[in-house]
Amino acid sequence: MVGGPQTHRLSNGGLIDRSAPLSFRFDGKTYVGFQGDTLASALVANGVKLVGRSFKYHRPRGILTAGSEEPNALVELRSGARREPNTKATTAELYEGLEVASQNRWPSLRHDFMAVNQLFAPIFVAGFYYKTFMWPAKFWEAIYEPAIRRAAGLGRAAGVADPDHYDKAWAHCDVLIAGSGPAGLAAALAAGRSGARIILCEEDFALGGRLLADGGTIDGRPAAEWISRTLAELGSMPDVRIMTRTTLFGVYDGGTYGAIERVNDHLPSPPEHQVRQRLWRIVAKRCVVAAGSIERPIVFAGNDTPGVMMASAMRTYVTRYAATPGKRIALFTNNEDGWRTVEAALGAGLQVAAVIDARPDVSPAHRSLASKSGFTVLHGSVSSVEGGKDGVRKIAVLLTGGARAEVEADGLAVSGGWNPAVGLTSYHRGRPKWRDDIAAFVPDGAPPGMVAVGAANGAFGLGACLREGFEAGAAAASDAGRNGNAGAAPVAEDEAFSLTPLWRVAGKGKAFVDQQHDITASDVELAQREGFESVEHLKRYTTLGMATDQGKTSNIAGLAIMAAVSGKSIPETGTTIYRPPYVPIAIGAFAGHHRDEAFHATRLTPSHHWAAEQGAVFVDTGLWKRAQWYPRAGEKDWLESVTREVKSVRGGVGFCDVSTLGKIDVHGADAGAFLDRVYINTFSNLAVGKARYGLMLREDGLVYDDGTTSRLAEDHYFLTTTTAKAGPVMQHLEFCRQVLFPELDVQLTSVSDQWAQFSIAGPKTRDVLKEIVDPAEDLSNEGFPFMGARKVALRGGIRARLFRISFSGEMAFEISVPARYGEALVRNLMQAGKQFGVTPYGTEALGVMRVEKGHVAGPELNGTTTASDLGLGKMMSTKKDFIGRVMAGREALIAPDRQVVVGIKPTDKVRRLRSGAHIIPKGQTPGPDNDQGYVTSVCFSPTLDQWIGLGLVERGRERIGEIVRAHDPLRGEEYDVELCNPVFYDPDGGRQRG
Amino acid sequence: MRIVCPFCGERELGEFTYLGDAKPARPAADAGEDAVFDYVYLRDNVAGAMSEHWYHSGGCRAWLKVTRNTLTHEISAVEPAAGAGAAKVGA
Amino acid sequence: MAEFSWEVRSPLERALVAGPFGTRGDAGVSLTEIRNFDLIQVMARRSKAAHMAEAAKGRFGVPAPDTPRAVDAADATLIWSGPDQFLVLSKSGKHAIEALGQAFAASASLSDQSHARVLISVSGTKARTMLAKLSSIDLHPDAFSIGAAAATSIDHTSVTLWRGTDGPDGQAVFNLLVLATFAESLWHTMLDAAAEYGVAIAHSEA
Repeated sequence: MVGGPQTHRLSNGGLIDRSAPLSFRFDGKTYVGFQGDTLASALVANGVKLVGRSFKYHRPRGILTAGSEEPNALVELRSGARREPNTKATTAELYEGLEVASQNRWPSLRHDFMAVNQLFAPIFVAGFYYKTFMWPAKFWEAIYEPAIRRAAGLGRAAGVADPDHYDKAWAHCDVLIAGSGPAGLAAALAAGRSGARIILCEEDFALGGRLLADGGTIDGRPAAEWISRTLAELGSMPDVRIMTRTTLFGVYDGGTYGAIERVNDHLPSPPEHQVRQRLWRIVAKRCVVAAGSIERPIVFAGNDTPGVMMASAMRTYVTRYAATPGKRIALFTNNEDGWRTVEAALGAGLQVAAVIDARPDVSPAHRSLASKSGFTVLHGSVSSVEGGKDGVRKIAVLLTGGARAEVEADGLAVSGGWNPAVGLTSYHRGRPKWRDDIAAFVPDGAPPGMVAVGAANGAFGLGACLREGFEAGAAAASDAGRNGNAGAAPVAEDEAFSLTPLWRVAGKGKAFVDQQHDITASDVELAQREGFESVEHLKRYTTLGMATDQGKTSNIAGLAIMAAVSGKSIPETGTTIYRPPYVPIAIGAFAGHHRDEAFHATRLTPSHHWAAEQGAVFVDTGLWKRAQWYPRAGEKDWLESVTREVKSVRGGVGFCDVSTLGKIDVHGADAGAFLDRVYINTFSNLAVGKARYGLMLREDGLVYDDGTTSRLAEDHYFLTTTTAKAGPVMQHLEFCRQVLFPELDVQLTSVSDQWAQFSIAGPKTRDVLKEIVDPAEDLSNEGFPFMGARKVALRGGIRARLFRISFSGEMAFEISVPARYGEALVRNLMQAGKQFGVTPYGTEALGVMRVEKGHVAGPELNGTTTASDLGLGKMMSTKKDFIGRVMAGREALIAPDRQVVVGIKPTDKVRRLRSGAHIIPKGQTPGPDNDQGYVTSVCFSPTLDQWIGLGLVERGRERIGEIVRAHDPLRGEEYDVELCNPVFYDPDGGRQRG
Repeated sequence: MRIVCPFCGERELGEFTYLGDAKPARPAADAGEDAVFDYVYLRDNVAGAMSEHWYHSGGCRAWLKVTRNTLTHEISAVEPAAGAGAAKVGA
Repeated sequence: MAEFSWEVRSPLERALVAGPFGTRGDAGVSLTEIRNFDLIQVMARRSKAAHMAEAAKGRFGVPAPDTPRAVDAADATLIWSGPDQFLVLSKSGKHAIEALGQAFAASASLSDQSHARVLISVSGTKARTMLAKLSSIDLHPDAFSIGAAAATSIDHTSVTLWRGTDGPDGQAVFNLLVLATFAESLWHTMLDAAAEYGVAIAHSEA
């Protein structure tokens, strides 16, 4: 085995598996820990005290806590693409081969060049972001910001895509429980026995909460026994799900909760087909928060020295992990609970140098323990700690009464009391209330359905935790309608509790409040002097509590200091707003499955795979993939392919998949009357077997959507929408049907996916169709005139619908067949049309032909145009009411100087017209005052052999023939263009009617 | 947030699309421009219980009238639009 | 003149590869595409819901569902799809749109959706666990019993989900009607969700 002995590991005890040694590397050096260790406990067991450098001052930092509240021991886990910065060593599970690097240091943790920042400490005071580096302004981007980013900061992101997968899942239960300490397990027991469906989330990999470190006696037996008995009972219940490595991080409306499950973070990489993490959305009728409490520090000079540790964390390392943070430790406490660390240390054979107790009295039992064990009890406070990167050396004590003392020790346990974890209960803007007896904030109410119990509710005694948890579990089950017999509650004694509030000890040297963000007590005082007295201002000005730990160990101390200097009480000073998430969540977990090609759901047209076989280039249009053009061998660019496709259609025949248009069946006796109200033109008088172009407005009078609607039967219309608006139009029509016009007999069904629809266009369209359509069908101009629409039979017995409509301006039909015949139809069209040179064309050629024809599309139907702007004003019926009619008549919408659709072509025939170019009168300086509109759509027209476009131009229709300037500041171009008739091609429409 | 669709039961927010204030009623065809202007543009900014139109777009496609407290998101009532389903409406 | 073949192609024809997928060993999830079906949307005309129900009873011998349920008739399944509307799922053309037109002529509007949906059945010991990644619906046996149905969404697209009769292995069977144009994309999403449990992929023509 590589790696030295575990110098700080006790020879027995602890919840670690000594038969499973795990080697790991920290900053290139190999160490060994055991299964059951966290990275932090393994570092402690190996005598590693220096773990990181601080954010601003690059001060040496060690391990402060043993949980997810850790501000200091942040490291980079793993390497390469799996490198994960800013991970808490206190929650990272050890595994064989784990690679760890300290962060925010250069060139090494022990010799950090940036520690020189400490010399410049005066410039890093509260609000330094706002005070320093302000001038000259151009230095900010070039010099200050890069320098600050290098010097101050956290770990390095991997810089390459995360190779692992994440997913998301839903879960449902009657009772959700956060935490598996005594209160949480008791709640689960009561709710489970009552018959409730339960989910219990525990962020640790082991169940038991503080019992794992502190033990105790429950029902007369050791706590460990009670835990295993309880877990066995819960395991026998059918609807109890216990999720370890899972943090409940947020509560949302309607009893929805967010949880993150670290499924495989404890392995080098997730097993094949498994995810690294899973984001849970849990829907719970009731929630019992048994999230415990967080021990809080006391602020004194040098309180960030490696080796200064929270008292509860120190005894956790000793009892749960059999790892000793020091050989000779001291305790600084203001409460009874801190003494448990002394008992644990003595039990593990450590030397106790002294206990510094800020309370006026110490119990006789503790006094006799001190004399029996040979350490002194000093009444007073720690005023400073001397030490460095190798840890604590000397502790200066200010005794009650003013005398001074010194204690030599290599570790200092600190306890300033306990803060209930009020995050979850406060996430709906709840403000916790102050309780003087424990000098802490406790929940004051909670989001609907939620209740806090045990330490999270300020009940610190073991007996109280069990009692509150059990009662809440039974009540939650009952509220959820589960009323089974909960049986007897587990029983334990309550420990004595006494505390004398103490937040800060004055002294020389830096005394840290927020260790992750390097905020000192003097920063808080400075902020107060500068007028930032509100806690919300204090937070933003100093950045206290804004690091990734969200101030779990610092917020309350910060506001207590603020209260002291401003002469207010702590409850008067108040807390900041609590917001989720409780712990940092990887973006990958929020994305889940939705990344790369699965970023969003994708829609494929019925001819998609055929088009792919042809080598089509696809374009994303909304969720759709559409064939954009079909390149052929030897074509040098897209323009050459598109030009060929357009010429093939105009000169022969081509087809295009238009299945992406929204298609809606409109049924019912009042279908015609309904359409009259949603379209500006009339549909009730449309003959069966006919199609008509329709335009819809929004109620504010602007154009909403357009499309062709056909009447297939007296009480059945087939409505089409644009591709983009398919969903919104369906929603709008349902609103009209259900809310605005509920008296009408109309039924709406989306049939977008039912029909594969193709446009076949060009002078040889009929030749191709005759090969496909049953010979009995009359496709002549008389038998199937322009705007005809009816069912036809195809050769081979398939039924299809045929619509004689044209977007290209050519003689054209649209044919639709049930979607699963779509690919067969394409192949048959290719076969039947071969002799006529049939050419598949994509959305680019479609676009070219519509611009040549002056048809408006998305760029013109842009939410600011009226029917009249589009040149379609005459379609507006004056004989009926319709959506948008009244507002369309507003003064500004009928003003004569509106920008309207007009054709645009450069006077220089070889110049490329660009969309977005602004239209300026000739001879005038470009600027907002002279701006008369812009180019909306452009294409290279193979028919006219030049670039052409459509635009929205002031009084455009009256100015046909006028030469104006196209001004394109983005591309630095300006050139003459002529305003012209938007119908560039076949203005009489003879070709589509022929 | 979760909404109890009167047809489908309780569903998550993602299945619904919000429209807005359900109070304004579309004026009659001859009501005049001012009335329509008010209908299109004028909205109360309610702090408290508000009647809103929601669409169960990801479910049964019914339009709903939801009474929601804009301060707490508490939903106190959900009813279908008059014309949801095929019930006879009007004379 | 050429004769044409009108081959029917399922939207999943290329994406679906029958056989095992994902983690090896006993498959925790079975995904089976059921091909070749008729699916007709039946929506009551205004004030004709009662007539529609009578017509359905007459045609299928069972009452049409008026709550989110799927009701098995002798040769069809009637699946609730919204207020006063349901889907008729059947095979071999017996209840195709032409056949149903007469029965509902006076009471309901019909739209053919036979080609607009893909039908996938999901079963296996891990079916619920896998579906929990896709669906926000509570599929616990007490909350979603045999015959329960939901008009809901997966990956922001509409699906109709119902629980059929348990399989011969005693496992629950969940049926999903998904939109045809989204089917391939959703299929990959489903495979992704199921891979860790091991998947048995199949399709049935009948």
